[in-house]
Formats: sequence, structure tokens, C-alpha cells
Amino acid sequence: MTLSGLVPLTLAVQGPPPDHEVVTDFEQVVLVALVFVIMFGLGAGLTPRDFLSALRRPWGLVIGFVTQFGIMPFLAFLLVLGLVLQLPPEFAAPVALGTLLMGSVPAGTTSNIFTFFSKGNLALSVLMTTNSTLWALLMTPLALYLYGTRFMPEGSELQIPLINIVVTLVTLLVPVAVGMVIRRYSPNVGAVLELMGGFFGLFFIVFLMATWVPRNWVLLAVTPWQVYAVAIFLGLFGISIAYAIARSIKLHPVNARTVGLETGIQNGPLAIAIVLLTFSDSPLLGSLLLVPALYSLFIVIVATFVTVHFRRANLSEEQRIPSLL
Amino acid sequence: MDGRPWLAQYPEGTRPQLPELPAETLPELLRQSSATYADAIAFTQCMPNGMNGSLRYRDVDRLSDDFAVYLREVVGLSAGDRVAVQVPNCLSYPIVAFGVFKAGCVLVNTNPMYTASEMTHQFADSGAKALVIIDLFADRLPAVLPTTSIETVVTVSISAFFPRTVAAIIHATQRYWSRTLPRITVEHTPLRDALAEGRQRRETGADLEAYLADVDGEALAALQYTGGTTGVSKGAMLSHRNLVANTSQILEMTGSHVRPGEETVLTALPLYHVFAFTLNLLAFYTVGGRNVLVPSPRPPSNLKRAFENYPITWLTGVNTLFNALLSERWFLEHPPGRLRASAAGGMALHGSVAQRWREVTGTPIVEGYGLTESSPVLTFNPLGGTVKDGTIGIPIPSTEVRCVADDGRPVPPGEPGELVARGPQIMQGYWQWPDETAETVRDGWLHTGDIAEMDPDGYFRIVDRKKDMVVVSGFNVFPNEVEGCIAAMPGVREAGVVGVADPKTGESVQAYVVVDDPALTAADIIAHAREHLAAYKVPRVIEFRDELPKSLVGKILRKDLRVPVGAGAASAVGPGAGSEPA
Repeated sequence: MTLSGLVPLTLAVQGPPPDHEVVTDFEQVVLVALVFVIMFGLGAGLTPRDFLSALRRPWGLVIGFVTQFGIMPFLAFLLVLGLVLQLPPEFAAPVALGTLLMGSVPAGTTSNIFTFFSKGNLALSVLMTTNSTLWALLMTPLALYLYGTRFMPEGSELQIPLINIVVTLVTLLVPVAVGMVIRRYSPNVGAVLELMGGFFGLFFIVFLMATWVPRNWVLLAVTPWQVYAVAIFLGLFGISIAYAIARSIKLHPVNARTVGLETGIQNGPLAIAIVLLTFSDSPLLGSLLLVPALYSLFIVIVATFVTVHFRRANLSEEQRIPSLL
Repeated sequence: MDGRPWLAQYPEGTRPQLPELPAETLPELLRQSSATYADAIAFTQCMPNGMNGSLRYRDVDRLSDDFAVYLREVVGLSAGDRVAVQVPNCLSYPIVAFGVFKAGCVLVNTNPMYTASEMTHQFADSGAKALVIIDLFADRLPAVLPTTSIETVVTVSISAFFPRTVAAIIHATQRYWSRTLPRITVEHTPLRDALAEGRQRRETGADLEAYLADVDGEALAALQYTGGTTGVSKGAMLSHRNLVANTSQILEMTGSHVRPGEETVLTALPLYHVFAFTLNLLAFYTVGGRNVLVPSPRPPSNLKRAFENYPITWLTGVNTLFNALLSERWFLEHPPGRLRASAAGGMALHGSVAQRWREVTGTPIVEGYGLTESSPVLTFNPLGGTVKDGTIGIPIPSTEVRCVADDGRPVPPGEPGELVARGPQIMQGYWQWPDETAETVRDGWLHTGDIAEMDPDGYFRIVDRKKDMVVVSGFNVFPNEVEGCIAAMPGVREAGVVGVADPKTGESVQAYVVVDDPALTAADIIAHAREHLAAYKVPRVIEFRDELPKSLVGKILRKDLRVPVGAGAASAVGPGAGSEPA
């Protein structure tokens, strides 16, 4: 095992300074507001029929649950075994825990935005996010118990911040519902809102990257490659594996893409909140946050590439019919 | 029954002979309807993302008046002058088309997808003096106008008559995002300005009635260009009476299935084509229906929002469209709940498609038949009567149809012969093509070039185009039948069939097949054909293709099938290759 120099290693082991914030409060508020506005617009493109269709074929939901809480934590565990444990032990344990946590949290709202841009099944995506977020209260601690007990610091007990669960659900469901109602009464306003939602969605993605990098560039400079790899592969493999599974059980490509994105795109802010709530006094806080913070950046980049790919696939699946008459 | 057994098949309430027409000219017909249904919504244009605009009957009436005045007073056209209209389905279309009629001018419908050379031919041949064109394609004009008599160009925007904000967003998207709006370098007037000028003249005393002083039922209303079969595109001369009669015949035939003032028809087929023009535009306008106009049904997901947002009760389409909708998941999961009936034309409706359509939507679908030269409808399956799949139905009221031999004499029922038809909807002739006219319309009988058979009940079945018939050892094989048989096989998407020279049998049948299921082999297909077809009709050779050449019309171009393609094509000789015709 070789690491690139002693100084960065020391820095990395210590993690970011104690006053480090992954996102500022201001950014947090902006992000929540953006998500709200975006989901409002995307909701304006949905009808009750879309949800009925998704519920009528619950396979997407079922398989999504399996990939979300079965595959993702296991994938995180494999990445820990294969990559994180190469690191010095005192550093490896908190990073491993952060990785496992990242793999065990539910899907985030970001997945809905990428599903929209990927021409996936947005209604299914909303249902899956809701479903996995609710189940997370039970499944996230369970997964961590299963894979992460040995990395847990003595005496600490995992705490799921309810407020984040509630915020996730509210910023998802309320605007979607309102958007749907508006569209019901005025398709024109609905279409305009949807267009705006898409526009803000693009802005959101750029905003995530643009605010992350200047605040966290030190992390980028000192992080060992194994941690990078974990942060990138967790999302990339998660999306790919879930997509492959969904395809293999003959889910429609549109739904398979949705399952892929829902599974691979985790609720980064929730993971960070869990760390802060559970380990706020721990000297290892910085290292615990390392993977959740890096993941939050790289998933946006990974998902953007995946989205471009999915859009192309979608285009080639569109029925091509000759011009009629 | 004097060779007209279909008379017994008309449903209750359908009169076999039309009484007097409700109007002599189209403007008269349109004005009646505009007055009766003034406050009802006549047209709604629905974009793929759900953005929409609507016009009421009153608006359509007023705006088309404005346009008529503009054409006569500002442009200076006279009755009988041709106006080319090259506009996709949008709110401007009815305003412009009705305005042309009200001005006493002649509508020349033109496909917006035409290339510069096709445009040049059609404009020059018709002698059009004015052109209304969608702004998206106006960049072709510098290459076109110099060789035509067009002096006035009016441009139309796809978002015209939408709510202002929505129109602005669509316009901005076209200009800055998709960059589909070309710079228009020729002199032109936006429709908005043209209407404003017309309105001004109208309010200062233009006499709309005077424009129609010399326009009677025999006056030319439209030059409807048809590719025909000979290659050269010719203008079918449709008079006001032709179009009014066909509209009335269609409504007589549909009877109570089209309820005045209550229907919402989805118009996904282009209005510049005579099928949608007469059926959707004229017939449904006449009975106070609401036309939901979709600028382009390609890809078919473009229709999703229209189906979601409007209570569609009627749908007209071609086989390709129905088949495409039946492959869309959103359509299958939520078929339109208010649909009452669908009408198919333009090409043969496959039995399997018709069957699935009924299963999925729970509503009837009926196939009809007609030509541009007959305004267009000649026959239809009677809604409320016996519907026979695979047939084009029975002649609509006031229409006589026969199958005749080469010498012009009627063939006995059940025997194939060229379908000929007579009625008030038959065109006056081809514009400036007297020879072609004389050959096509003989003693008032339109010779369609289609081979058909009549069953004992008076239902007609198209066997094929006269020229596509394959003769195998003296037996007639009609490619349609073989194509239909192969296409009905699971895993096959479509098939095209042609005759190829054969040393033993003169000609033999060769099929070009596009499959969805790559495991399907030529032997499978031939075995399937053997089960359903007489031996001489079974293809000798099956060639797999990735796609089949199609015309703009969406019909398989059999003449282009023989052209070999490079990659992706594999050919196979079937096991039946040695068999003799039965």
C-alpha cells in the first residue's frame, strides 16, 4: 500500500478541521428551496394516472426496495473490504463507517431530478423515494448493524434525524401534489412550470458542484485514491447493478432507468445529518464525513454522465413511425 | 338488388340517397356552423408538452373573414386565384383555409415537409399567387419563389393564437434553444399583420358577400395534389360541391355516432391531406365538434398530453398510427376513456390492429376507403351496422361502386376487378391534365386503379393495386394478402412483398420482413405462410431487413424493396423453394 506522501496522509487522517461545514446553512436553505421549486415544476408534468400506472405494476417498487436496502449496503460493504481497509486502521474505521452509512441511506430528491432529465418514470421515482425514505427509519440502522458494528465507536448509537426525513418527504410530496393540481386546471401553466422546473433542475446540478468544490477543495487534494474510488464507485456501481437487475427481470427500460438512478443516488444530506447527529462529539467526525461529502459531489457528476447516456438510449427507443399520409 | 346489395346494410337512420345538400358552397356551410356553435370551442392546438391554445367558432369565423378580406382587398386576388397553404396542424390552419374559401379563392394544400423542388413543382403547376407558410420552413423560399407566380408570402407561427406568455416561451424556445427558426430573407407578412389589415378593411366596409357572387357549387374550391401512381404530382380539382357533398355523406353515414356539439376529435393526421381535411376539419366543424390539433404525431408520445388533457371522443388515423399507439405503454395502461369510435383510412387497416384496438379501447374502429380524387371518402364500414374487418365497407350514401374488368364491364360479385365509383364527390378532373383526366374519370366513373372484390352483402375488399399484382404461373397473387399474413405472425413487425422473375413460374413471390423477434427464421415464416396461404402465394424467398422503404404517405414502397441494402441484410432461401403453385 502506498499513499502519496506523508503530509496529505496526516491531514486526511485528521479529516477536515472541526469547524468545517460540508454545506453552509445558507446553501442548505437554497438547496431545499430549489428542490421545492423544481419538484413543483416536475409535479406539474404528472397526473394521477402516472401514479396509478406505477402502483399497478409494483415490481418497480419492490425491486427498488431490494436494490436500495439489499444491494447498496452490500455494495458499500464490498467497497469497504476491497478498498477502505487498505488504509491505516485508525483512518479506515471511520471512513468505512461513512461508506456503509452512505450505502444504507435511502434515495434522495436529487434522484427525482435526474430521473426527469433521463426521461425515466418520474411517478415511479417519486413513489420509490417516498417508500425508501419511510423504510429508512428501520432499514438504515438495520443495514449498519449488519455490516458496520465492528467499525462503530464504543458506546455510540445510530440516530436517524426525523427532521431530515420529514423535510425530504415534504419537499418532495407537497410541491408534486400542488404541481399536479395546477396542471389539472391549467395545462398551460403546468407546462410552463414544468419547463421552469427543468431549468432550475439544471441550475441545481451546477449549483451543487459550484458550491461544493471551493468549500471542499482541500479534501480533494489530500484524499487517498481509495476513498475517491469508493465515493465514485458507490454511485456508479449502484446505478449500474440496479439497472442490470431491473432489466434482467424484464422491467421496461424506462422503469429500469428509474430504478437504477433511485438506487444509486442516495440521500447525501441525510447521511451527513446522521453523522453530525450521532457523532458530533467524536474526534473522528472529519473522517466519518469524508465519504458522504465526496459522494455528494461525485454522484452529481456520475449521474450527469449516466443521464446523458440514458437520454440517448431513450431517444433510440422512441417509436419511429413514418410521416403519416 | 340491381348490383347494389349494400343498400340493405345501411344502419337505421342513414338515408341511401342524400337529400338536398345543406349548403352550396363551403363558406355557406362554415358560416352556418359558426353561427350555430358560436361560443363552443372549435379548435385546440396541443403541443407535446401540453402547452395549448384554443379558438371558438366565433373567433374562427371572424378571423377567417379578416383573412378573406386581406386576400381580396390587400393582396388583390380575384375569385378562382390559387393560394398555396403550407402549414402543419395548428390554429392558423383553419383560419387560413376557411379564409381562402371565403375569398372565393382556391386552396392548394401543400405538405410542409416538401423539399424546394417539390414545392416549386406544386406552386408552379397550380399557378398560386399567394403562399401561406409556416415560418419554420420559410428558408426554402429563395430557391422556390423565382420560378413560381407567388407574389405574396404570409408567414405563420406555430404558437399563433396561444396565450401571450405561452406563445412567447414557445417562440423563445424555437429561436434560442432549438434554433429552428430560420431567418426569412424574402419579403413576407406575418399572419397577425395580415389579419389586422384585413380587419381594418372589413370594418371600413369590405363586402364579403361580393367575393362569392360568382362562386357556386361547381366552382373550384381546392387543388389537392396527389402523387398518383405515375410519379408526376397532379392537382385533383375539388369543387365546393364535391367537398360539401362528401362532408354530408360522411355525416349521413356516421349517423348518431357523431353527436352535434358534443364530439372532441383528435386530429393527429395532417390537415393538408384530404383525409383529415374532409373528415376532421370539415365534417366535425359542420357538427360543432372540437378539433384537438396536434402539429406532429411523431414520435407517438407527442399525443400523450392531448389524450390526458382532453376528453377525446373520436380519432381518425391510419394503420401506422393505431399500431403505434398500441405500442405505447401510457396508451395501453390508460386508453382514452371517453372514446366512442375511430375511423381508419389512407391505407389498409390490418385485422390484427383493428382487433387489438377494440380490445384495448373497448370502442369500434371502422375502415373506410377513398382517394384524393373523390374528396376523399367512397366507402366506409357502417358504425351501428355490420362491421367487416379486412373490408373497406360499403359505399357511402349517394355513391355507386363497382368492380369492373379491363373492358369496363362489371365482374360478378366475389370476382376481383378494378374498383370504379360514381357520386357527387368525384373530382372535376386533374388540373391542366386533360389526358389523365379522361383516362381516370370515364362517363363519370372514377377509375381507382385498385383491384377489389364485392361480397354478397355489398362490402368491398381491396385486393391490391392493379400494378403491384404478381402473376405466378398464371395465378394472381396480391402482395397485400401475403404481407398481411406474414405481418400477423407474432414477432414480425412488418413485411413487404413483391414479384420477382422466375424461370419456372414467370414470377414468384419474394417477401422482405422486419422482425421484432430476432430468433425468427425464414423457415418459420414460410411455414406460417403455408398454413394460411395457397401454395402459389407462399414466398419463395424471405429477406430480412432492418426497415422497409416507405413513402411520405407511410406506405411501403414496393418498387424500392428490390434495391439491396448493405449491412444488416441477410437473405435466406426457404424450404418451400421447389414447390409448384397449387
